[in-house]
Amino acid sequence: MAPVLFAELVAFCAGVLLLTGVLIVWRRDLRAIVRLLAVQGVALAFLVAVIGVEARLPELLAVALLVLVLKGIALPVLLVRVSGPAGPGQVETPTINTTASLISLALLTTLAYLVSQPLKAAGSGPAAAAVPIGISLVLFGFMVLASRRHAISQLVGFLMLDNGIATVAFLIAGGLPLVVELGAALDILLVVLVLQVLTGRIRAEFGDIDLDDLSELRD
Amino acid sequence: MNAGAATLAAVQVVVMVVVSPLLVGLMRQVRARLEGRVGAGVLQPWRDLRKLAIKETLRAAGTGRVSAVGPLVLVVSGLLVCVLIPLVGAVPFVSLPDDLFVVVSVLLVGTVALALVGLDAGTAFGGMGSSRHMTIAALVEPTVLVAVYALSIPVGSSALSRIVVARIDDPASVASPVSLLALVALVIAVVAETGRLPVDNPSTHLELTMIHEAMVIESSGRDLGWLELGSWLRLGALLGLLGSLLVPWGVAQDASVAAVLIGVVTLVLKLAALGSVLAAAEVFVAKLRLFRVPELLAGSFVLAFLAVTASYLVVQAG
Amino acid sequence: MTQVEVGLWAQLVLALATVSIAVLARPALRARLAGSAAAALGVAGAVTGVIALTGGQGRLVIPLALPVDPVVLSPTPLGGFFMVVAGAVGAVAAVYAIGYVHGPSASSTSWAAFATFLLGMQLVPGAADAVSFLLAWELMAAASTVLVLTEHRERIEVRSAALWYAVMTHLSFLLILIGFAVLSAAGHGTSFAAMSHVDPESAGASIAFVLLVLGFATKAGIVPMHVWLPRAHPAAPSHVSAVMSAAMVKMGVYGVLLVVLQLLPAGRPWWGLVLLALGTVSALYGILQASVATDLKRLLAYSTTENVGLMFLAIGTGVLLRAYAVVGPAEVAAGTTLLLVASHAAFKTTLFLGAGSVLHATGVRDLDRLGGLGKRMPTTAAAFGIGALGAAALPITCGFVAEWALLQSLIHGARPEDRLVAVVMPLAVAVVALTAGLALMTFVKAYGIAFLARPRGPEAGVAHEGPASMRVALVVSAVVVVGLGLLPGVMARAVVRAVGLGGIDVFGVSGLGLPGVGAALDPVALTGLTLLVAVSVLVVTWRMARRRPPRPVELAWGGGGVRVSPRMQYTATSYAEPLSRVFDDALRPERDLEITHAGESRYLVERVQFRQQLEDVVEVRAYAPGVRLVDRIGLAARRLQNGSIHRYLGYSFVALIAVLIVVSL
Repeated sequence: MAPVLFAELVAFCAGVLLLTGVLIVWRRDLRAIVRLLAVQGVALAFLVAVIGVEARLPELLAVALLVLVLKGIALPVLLVRVSGPAGPGQVETPTINTTASLISLALLTTLAYLVSQPLKAAGSGPAAAAVPIGISLVLFGFMVLASRRHAISQLVGFLMLDNGIATVAFLIAGGLPLVVELGAALDILLVVLVLQVLTGRIRAEFGDIDLDDLSELRD
Repeated sequence: MNAGAATLAAVQVVVMVVVSPLLVGLMRQVRARLEGRVGAGVLQPWRDLRKLAIKETLRAAGTGRVSAVGPLVLVVSGLLVCVLIPLVGAVPFVSLPDDLFVVVSVLLVGTVALALVGLDAGTAFGGMGSSRHMTIAALVEPTVLVAVYALSIPVGSSALSRIVVARIDDPASVASPVSLLALVALVIAVVAETGRLPVDNPSTHLELTMIHEAMVIESSGRDLGWLELGSWLRLGALLGLLGSLLVPWGVAQDASVAAVLIGVVTLVLKLAALGSVLAAAEVFVAKLRLFRVPELLAGSFVLAFLAVTASYLVVQAG
Repeated sequence: MTQVEVGLWAQLVLALATVSIAVLARPALRARLAGSAAAALGVAGAVTGVIALTGGQGRLVIPLALPVDPVVLSPTPLGGFFMVVAGAVGAVAAVYAIGYVHGPSASSTSWAAFATFLLGMQLVPGAADAVSFLLAWELMAAASTVLVLTEHRERIEVRSAALWYAVMTHLSFLLILIGFAVLSAAGHGTSFAAMSHVDPESAGASIAFVLLVLGFATKAGIVPMHVWLPRAHPAAPSHVSAVMSAAMVKMGVYGVLLVVLQLLPAGRPWWGLVLLALGTVSALYGILQASVATDLKRLLAYSTTENVGLMFLAIGTGVLLRAYAVVGPAEVAAGTTLLLVASHAAFKTTLFLGAGSVLHATGVRDLDRLGGLGKRMPTTAAAFGIGALGAAALPITCGFVAEWALLQSLIHGARPEDRLVAVVMPLAVAVVALTAGLALMTFVKAYGIAFLARPRGPEAGVAHEGPASMRVALVVSAVVVVGLGLLPGVMARAVVRAVGLGGIDVFGVSGLGLPGVGAALDPVALTGLTLLVAVSVLVVTWRMARRRPPRPVELAWGGGGVRVSPRMQYTATSYAEPLSRVFDDALRPERDLEITHAGESRYLVERVQFRQQLEDVVEVRAYAPGVRLVDRIGLAARRLQNGSIHRYLGYSFVALIAVLIVVSL
């Protein structure tokens, strides 16, 4: 594949990833967040496929397919199922208000660029230039995880975290071995399944899954 | 060497067995005379032993073998102490030096036997006497060990015979401050160990003031006879030790007949003198309350400790 | 493979076999099979120790799946000595346990833990580097904690005892770990050979010395870290208490000897003083608490503190004298420590197994409720009596030989040129003498109250002797106590080889000589002399007994009282009462007197109630405030944990950002 086309495709995917990340932090609506996560998954799959074609590694195409199925389709569907029956979109009030969260997004992106200098040196070519985006995704995901009340938003943040790590791995090392990716994917699946069951039980027991209320359980 | 030591040992045992009851008789007689009484005579302890040997021995239902065996252990330990301490002669066995700790341990075996006899009696008095006796024995032991330690420093060995021989060879050491301090401490320790005034009144009849008497109160017949003989042997041996340390001349240094004879005669004289002095002192002293006795023993320990430190200063200066 | 390596493999295999038997065997056969296998394990350990002691070399390397260095086992003669002690005690206790275990102590967990405990204890002296040492140490500690917890369902105090024990033993582990870490950093290697090249004058060596000594002293039960001993020993089953007291605390002594003789041999004088101070305080405090204790096992536990204090005193003397170049007595002192170790192992095993028999027969440990057991349990009474003689250091037992050697090294060790030594030695002699006197009283009390006269409570009236395996174990350990006392040459030869120094000589059949200080002791000759002297007495008394046999009467005279009931006998509390008054300041008993007057009168008394309670002073004054302080800190720290998940996640997020910032700088 022509290097220019490759660089443009990589940039395009990175842009989509970043955009979806920002939107996940910005939006309140739970269903919208899950849909954005699905888009992010698709973008990641596309990125992996592009890298695979460029490096001529057929197994990366298999990985891309796996990522598509898992992160683009299966996990978002599960999350929708967990969040309850369809109704007027559930909205939550996060602990940090929107303005503050968007400013912190900016700060985190700066931090990501600072941190990724040594990582950029390790990699090569246009792929390596997009590494800071992967790290920003990690930090965004962590922030979502730490600052949201609803269990679903936290799960979304967790999955975004994982997407960011996968992005960085593919951009630098040209991907992970199939076995490792499979293992990681299975781990994520397991986590989500367990959390699905758990939130279901909690909802059945207490009526809703607002986490701050759950702190009453401590004593 | 061993033959000489064996002869001396045999002589010591025989002499002490014969003389100890006489010593006790003498002490009682001196005390009686000073108190204005006629007294029973010097031979009375021997008459008592003869009477006890003939009398029937009673054993209460709750007692066990200890009541029968304990008195024998006390007597054997007393005899063994008479063998080991240099009384008539200072010739030890080759492979059995009369080490300080060995002698003290043998004495303690006797103490323990007596205490167990008191406990086995199964009465309150036996337990009381046993408990007081063991408390005093526990508190006396540091004094005894440190005092003989003080005496052993100038000699460089803790074998009693060598200490006595060194004191014969060097008369000045007998009157040195170290020796005097140590001997005073030893006198107090001996008084406590043998149950004389001011620690214990050997002729009391009030059970609550008894220590030694309370332990033997249940024994009768030959049990009591052995117990009494054992106690007298210990008293005689310890007074003999004090005599050998205070006035070492006359102690035989070999097993020749003349030396042994001189040793026996001097031993009897020393015992008589020490016994009389002790008995006379007892007339003028009242028995201490039991809980004042530890103060007395602590005082004697301090004297012994001062003796040790003094000996180091002396050696350092000399 | 050399003999030592064969022995080590045998121990590992036998331990595994015992654990499998414990888990798989049927309950009816479990005790016998597991006990025999554990006894074989102990014997294997003892034999390996003997081979190592006589100069056998061997090196066993066991790679582990963990990311640590492999376990290296290569026992030195000193280690061999302690292996013999641990193995012998374990074998005797295992035989005893066959007959003793019942209920929870007969479960498979208990037997498996016992086998692991024995294995850990036997491997500690064999370790050749710090990692293997610590692994074996932790194995020993974990297994013994499980064993202490055996009866937690029957008795509530077992749980708190196990908690105290677990905390203290891990405190010791931590201190030893840090000490070894300091030494290996200074010596550039974790093997003991590497550590022995550290310069003893350096600050690192001193820090490591203090840490290691504190850690080993905690395990050994030295005051003020002894508080677990009087709780854990009564809580554990008797065969476990015997092994813990007779062999496990010796591993603490082994650790200190390892540091002082092998790792940092040319120590400074203040090291010796530290050891002496720890030893004297422990010896005095231990025997004082023992003399006023009324629980039989608590008494024996405190007596262990006293004996370990004497061992530390001996080591300290050796270090101090060697620092002042007084060679003869220093060597004797080092050898004396090992004599004390062997003799204490022998008589303490006997005493604890005897106490176990008493507990098994009557169900009570309280001396105030026992009495008259000598007639109903003659074997136990005889064995306990011999053990008590050994503990009181009377002839002719091993305790006597050990104490004699200790006093010789102290008396002849003083040198007037060194003022410090000249003052310290007499004080040490005085302390040893006082503890000897108090030990005498303690064991007269323990033996006399429990076994003589009449039963003070109903349980003691129905006592009976235990099963055969218990009796066999008791007899064997009592024979060892007397045997080692009669033929100390065996012990002495082992000690000389273990310490590798001169100072102790063997002559004649059994005589023990200390050429460094010019003293000699021949117990066989002493016994022979005694027998000679006793013959005449025995003949006379026999003839008198034949002519006039003793007459049994119903009641003792008791000063003329007719109603002499068994309740009027002296109890253990009353026996120790004069002593507790003399040492009132040190013991600080709690006394409570409640007088209920009759009606309004001030002079007519209806009821008087007196209560006296003796707690461990160190625990009440030092540990309780410390625990309360830690509690307060914990409650304050709990505010960090308010249950909000956001806060916890926030903590991790902030931490991640901080790390990233730091890394990118």
